[in-house]
Amino acid sequence: MNEALSAALALFLDPSRLSMMLLGVAVGLVVGVLPGMGGIVSVAILLPFITRLDPVASLAMITGSLAVVHTSDTITSVLIGAPGSAAAVPTMIEGHPLARQGQAARALSAAYAASLVGGLIGALGLTLSIPIARPLVLSFGSPELFMLTVLGVSYAGSLLGKEARRGILAGLLGLLLGAVGPAPAAAEVRFAFDQVYLTDGLDLAIVALGLFGVAEVVGLLARGGAVAETTELGRGWLQGLRDVVQHRWLVLRGALIGMWAGVLPALGATAGTLMAYGHVVSSSRDRSRFGKGDIRGIIAPEAANNAVEAGDLIPTLLFSVPGSAPTAIILGALLAYGIVPGPRIVTDHLDLVYTIVWSFAAANFIGAGIMFAASPLLARAASVPFDRLAPAVVLAMVLASYQETRHFGDILTLLALGLVGYAMKVTGWPRAPLLIGFVLAGPLERYYFLTINLYQRPADWLLRPGVVVLAVLLVAPFVWGAVRAVRERAAGRPSAATAPAGFRPVTLVSLFVLAIFAAAALVAREFLPGAALMPLSVAVAGTVLAAVQLAQELRGRGGLAADDEADAALARPEALRRAGWLLAGLCGYAGSIWLVGMRAASGLWVLGFLLGVARLRPATALLYTAAALAGAEVLSRVLGVRLPPGVLLR
Amino acid sequence: MKRATVLLVLGLLALAPLGARAQQPYYAGKTIELIVPFGPGGGTDIEARFMAPFFEKHIPGNPRFLVRNMPGGGSILGANWFAQNAKPDGLTLLATSGSTIIPYILGVSQVRYDFAKWKLVKVNGVGGAVYVSPRTGITKAADVLRPQVPLVYGGISAVGLDLTTLLLFEVLGMNVRVVMGFEGRGPARLAFERGETNIDYQTTPAYLTQVVPLIREGKAVAVMSMGFVNDRGQMVRDPAAPDLPTPYEVYQTLYNRKPDGLLRWKAYQAAVAASFSYQKAFWAPEGTPEEALRALREAIDRMKRDPAFRQEAQKILEGYEIFRGDQGEAAVHRSMRITLDVKKYIVDLVTGKYSARL
Repeated sequence: MNEALSAALALFLDPSRLSMMLLGVAVGLVVGVLPGMGGIVSVAILLPFITRLDPVASLAMITGSLAVVHTSDTITSVLIGAPGSAAAVPTMIEGHPLARQGQAARALSAAYAASLVGGLIGALGLTLSIPIARPLVLSFGSPELFMLTVLGVSYAGSLLGKEARRGILAGLLGLLLGAVGPAPAAAEVRFAFDQVYLTDGLDLAIVALGLFGVAEVVGLLARGGAVAETTELGRGWLQGLRDVVQHRWLVLRGALIGMWAGVLPALGATAGTLMAYGHVVSSSRDRSRFGKGDIRGIIAPEAANNAVEAGDLIPTLLFSVPGSAPTAIILGALLAYGIVPGPRIVTDHLDLVYTIVWSFAAANFIGAGIMFAASPLLARAASVPFDRLAPAVVLAMVLASYQETRHFGDILTLLALGLVGYAMKVTGWPRAPLLIGFVLAGPLERYYFLTINLYQRPADWLLRPGVVVLAVLLVAPFVWGAVRAVRERAAGRPSAATAPAGFRPVTLVSLFVLAIFAAAALVAREFLPGAALMPLSVAVAGTVLAAVQLAQELRGRGGLAADDEADAALARPEALRRAGWLLAGLCGYAGSIWLVGMRAASGLWVLGFLLGVARLRPATALLYTAAALAGAEVLSRVLGVRLPPGVLLR
Repeated sequence: MKRATVLLVLGLLALAPLGARAQQPYYAGKTIELIVPFGPGGGTDIEARFMAPFFEKHIPGNPRFLVRNMPGGGSILGANWFAQNAKPDGLTLLATSGSTIIPYILGVSQVRYDFAKWKLVKVNGVGGAVYVSPRTGITKAADVLRPQVPLVYGGISAVGLDLTTLLLFEVLGMNVRVVMGFEGRGPARLAFERGETNIDYQTTPAYLTQVVPLIREGKAVAVMSMGFVNDRGQMVRDPAAPDLPTPYEVYQTLYNRKPDGLLRWKAYQAAVAASFSYQKAFWAPEGTPEEALRALREAIDRMKRDPAFRQEAQKILEGYEIFRGDQGEAAVHRSMRITLDVKKYIVDLVTGKYSARL
């Protein structure tokens, strides 16, 4: 093993290969910054190089880019509130409020440092576990994987917000959204309504971008001004580092959760990050700051999302079973070189395996270093009036969505979820449980059915040691919570806040949610038994809960204003009117993409926005538009996306 | 005289570019787009990207060869797009796999494409191998009807590539409990290794690299290949796993007669041809100029003579032959034309026994 380690180091330090890794890091960083684009995009960009390089160089390059994508996706998440990738949503939930409070620098430095340490822990874990990982991975059967997803869903419970009922409803809505597409256990496509676009289900990147990215951009514009509410950027660079040192055990826990989620191919990167976030919230004594800018909510998920990528390499290399699309590409690249991942890779290609580990660790260092150096400059973006940034950000988000399947449905989904996300944001509905529900819906249902079909007697799986341990982990927080609730009640709790009775804007959202659940229940009744169980029980539970919610709101007992004061301000009529116009503008943009194509529509959108909303001088606006269009053109060329011409011009 | 010569030379020089242009290859200075109706990283995508530089090298005029992923609907979305939008100029091609063919054969309503209207550029296939756990007591193919413990198979979905496995169980009359719901063949193999299932199949390349080590350790037992349908429409042994008997042979061992006339045998052979033997194909739209088709197809011949390709192809094509479109077209179209009774048999099986909804 030591021999292979040093041989790998020599291979890796070869200048031509080192430079390829740097290229990978550069691409990974740039892709990470672009909202909605994650590892898969950066690897896809690098693919053409693979056939022209030797195996060590190309693996160093791909690993390098994967290692840093989740380091740089912090920037847009914190500064603009548009998640750089789906796994950056927790960072956005906590980091963006910090940026608004003028603490962007602190949020960023804490995130980079946590990313770096998480990545290094991941690389170390990868090194140590390669000799023993095979039996470890095999000890996780379908019942354990099922229990793990249940545990993940229960973590969502800690993210419910002020009103548990609305949090649960949001989580159920996520499960329902995740049920769109093929049912795992029965051969039936659900909720597709004869649209081929929907038969594969909704895309995670688009869901995250719509619910959080579009909603945030509209919110910032409706409020007006720059992102940061104070002109001072904050000299929080050191503070961020101190935060990470202070919460060092949190970094470790986050990294371990992320690593495990990566090792088990069932869960995936985003689930690991969200579970780390849920874990930090549920294990914290004081939860009052979460959602309003709690640094702990950045540290744990950031440590997790870099470690996930390291963990993901284990099933890829040892079992030839990739856990995510980027590692599927690594697998393909290895196969193209005649190197077959699997049981023999440890004996035949150990040096190559350790090259990957070295590249991963080094890329984490270099990526974090570059981001530290570049961030003071980038952080200034937070003090630029946001209406100057918005058109380019929207264009980038539309382009990012469109490259998922290259179908107009991508843009419609982004827009529809943007509307839903904005309505939820303004009315204080928590969105994190929705995302967790969406991410875990597939594995939850899949491993439930696999478990009960593979283990026909309940005792066969319920009494497995792993299942028992996970069950204890699952139940413990509830017992603890109950004990604490009893104590608090004894100490005398402040009475619940009340809201005005009668019909308010928030009631519209509850009515909409009720309608969705009721309609879904009607549709799901017709499904095959194996396909109906999950969506039907979710829809029925959702219908009942939403009806209760609606009744309570009409009596003035629920539907409190948004937790976040800035969000609450958005519910004022004036801000709502502004947002209405902006959303109408976005609908117009989407419609014109369909009519006259992406290029012309984007030109019109950017120019129109700059002149009409941002009120720039015509010359500046034209220059800006030209630059934005050129950027889009380059991006689409690099990504190999054909920009659609529109129905009128075809 | 002198002036006349100069004029003549000048005139010829002026005409020269015209002549050169007329003789230029069809693809000179052009870009070919290959639509891959799957996301990056899958088998079809990897193979397409691997072949792209060889097409660039061997098509006269050295066009650029771009791979564009257009995933969705289990490849139906990209194939539909191709059917509706690709111009017959040889500049847009489509890569397909078994996942594109099976819904077409079954007549799934979302399918808006028709393979019969396309021109085949190249086709190559892959095989599959079936293996069991030693706990089943099965040591050879002849034992498959008398396992010591009930057989449990982990599948993905009855209407995908698992269709072939389900038909195999029908043909041989095997009693297997099928548990659907795995994400792919890789996770299904992990379930086999964990002991949750005890019969499994992998494509032959995965079998050779992932399962053969298990067989050596005594953790798995090889049973048979899925068979390979040759260009004359007969089932032969898998070229990459010639030691394993085909289901055709196994049927004869078990029942002492040939399966040829049986409806379920015809269904099985059609499924093997579509989702294994002829699964990876590139297509051009109908009406593509003969000149373009010839350039594309002849590039395959040149590739097969290129030592660099032969060396790389061993890894990607795994020892399976790649056919020029005009050589393989008849066999591929034949494999996709199944008679109505066979189609009805397949549809009844998946919608009845496996309660699928098409």
